[in-house]
Amino acid sequence: MNPGTNTPALTPPSRRTAALWGLTVSVALAAGPLLLRHRLPDPIAVHWDLGLGPDRSMPLAASATMDVALWAAVWVTLLVMVPAVSGRRGARAGWWGALVGSSALFLGMGATTLLANLDAPSWTEARLPAWQAAAVLAAAVAAAVSAARLRRGGPDGPGDAACAPPELLLRPGQRAVWVGRAGNRWLSAVTAAAGTGLGLLGLLWALGLVGDGTAAEVLPGLVIVLAAGLFTSSLTARVTEEGLAIGFGPFGWPVRRIRLDRVQRAWAETRSPVEVGGWGFRGLPGDATIMLRGGECLVVGYRSGGRLAISVDDAERAASLINALLAERVGA
Amino acid sequence: MLLTLDLNDTRPLHEQVAAAVRRAIGEGSYAAGDRLPPARELAQALGINTNTVLRALRDLRDEGLLEFRRGRGVSVAGAAEGRALLVQRARELLEDAQRHGYRREDLITILKELP
Repeated sequence: MNPGTNTPALTPPSRRTAALWGLTVSVALAAGPLLLRHRLPDPIAVHWDLGLGPDRSMPLAASATMDVALWAAVWVTLLVMVPAVSGRRGARAGWWGALVGSSALFLGMGATTLLANLDAPSWTEARLPAWQAAAVLAAAVAAAVSAARLRRGGPDGPGDAACAPPELLLRPGQRAVWVGRAGNRWLSAVTAAAGTGLGLLGLLWALGLVGDGTAAEVLPGLVIVLAAGLFTSSLTARVTEEGLAIGFGPFGWPVRRIRLDRVQRAWAETRSPVEVGGWGFRGLPGDATIMLRGGECLVVGYRSGGRLAISVDDAERAASLINALLAERVGA
Repeated sequence: MLLTLDLNDTRPLHEQVAAAVRRAIGEGSYAAGDRLPPARELAQALGINTNTVLRALRDLRDEGLLEFRRGRGVSVAGAAEGRALLVQRARELLEDAQRHGYRREDLITILKELP
């Protein structure tokens, strides 16, 4: 369903690969200190200053646990991102680079830390050769870059013809426009709650029931939630001869305008917040999604190769109209 | 919601807008209970006054096609899928028939011949 996935079978990141990979790295990170514990001081040196003298220590068990925990955080994040990065080449390359590069960094740092501490009588005697620190960084960067290049897969296809929206014929002497909206009930509720809270706070503060200090502490949080909610809880989109305009929030402001001459074609797609990494403005410029709710999304493909997806009702008709207006423009 | 206006249409603008909204709902882009885009947005897209759109929407509410609810905006009425949509589609069918040179009687004959 996702246009641009016509790539060789080996390249899309799979959850299984990521899970096995991460487990292997975790085991390796834990096994090193465990196997060498009789030859290591406890606590061990875990950090060196720029003169490469040790300046911080940690109990061996705590250090090993922290390494595994930090790695697990990176690993789980990458695992969650798998469906979101399968579609586009740039995203795939970045994902593989992050997985392999961060693994190399964690394993390299773990190994050099153990080597420096190996057979040292106490953590203050642990010496870290400068070349090792440099080599770990260089190896991590090299691993990330080569993994990104090797596993990125084929270039993105021009898009799947199967998901082309139905063709719309514009008659001469006819003016056709499309207007759509999307909203998120939960975000609206949170926004309304923040607004109510703000009003209540003002009232209590004016009555002297809430101290100045408490009010000042709560105020910024409420204002931020209210402001963010006002701009992101709903959107309206319209397609006219001038192009696509997306208005954020209940007031339709700010507006993002995309002129038709920048657009190659449009189509409708089903996307969910899990796929794109959450709600709000997601992804990178060139492959972004404005996600308010899962379901129907209008996707515009730019002439420059990028694309923008907007979660909005009745997206297929919008895509049909954009394509019809583009065809009319070419014909004229 | 896809709205089309005929630039040569001589009917009052609010009637044309009402017909366009009726047509859009008839085409099935909005089901019963679905919320319509705000009137201000519709007006901006069409390049007309918001009051004209509001008048059209009020007419459609009086027809029973739309529902106005406080805080929920304008939505398609529960009973809309029935007669109101059928009448709109019949009206379009008749216009189409006349464009192709068929009279009302010919259309009725065609309907009768359908299994």
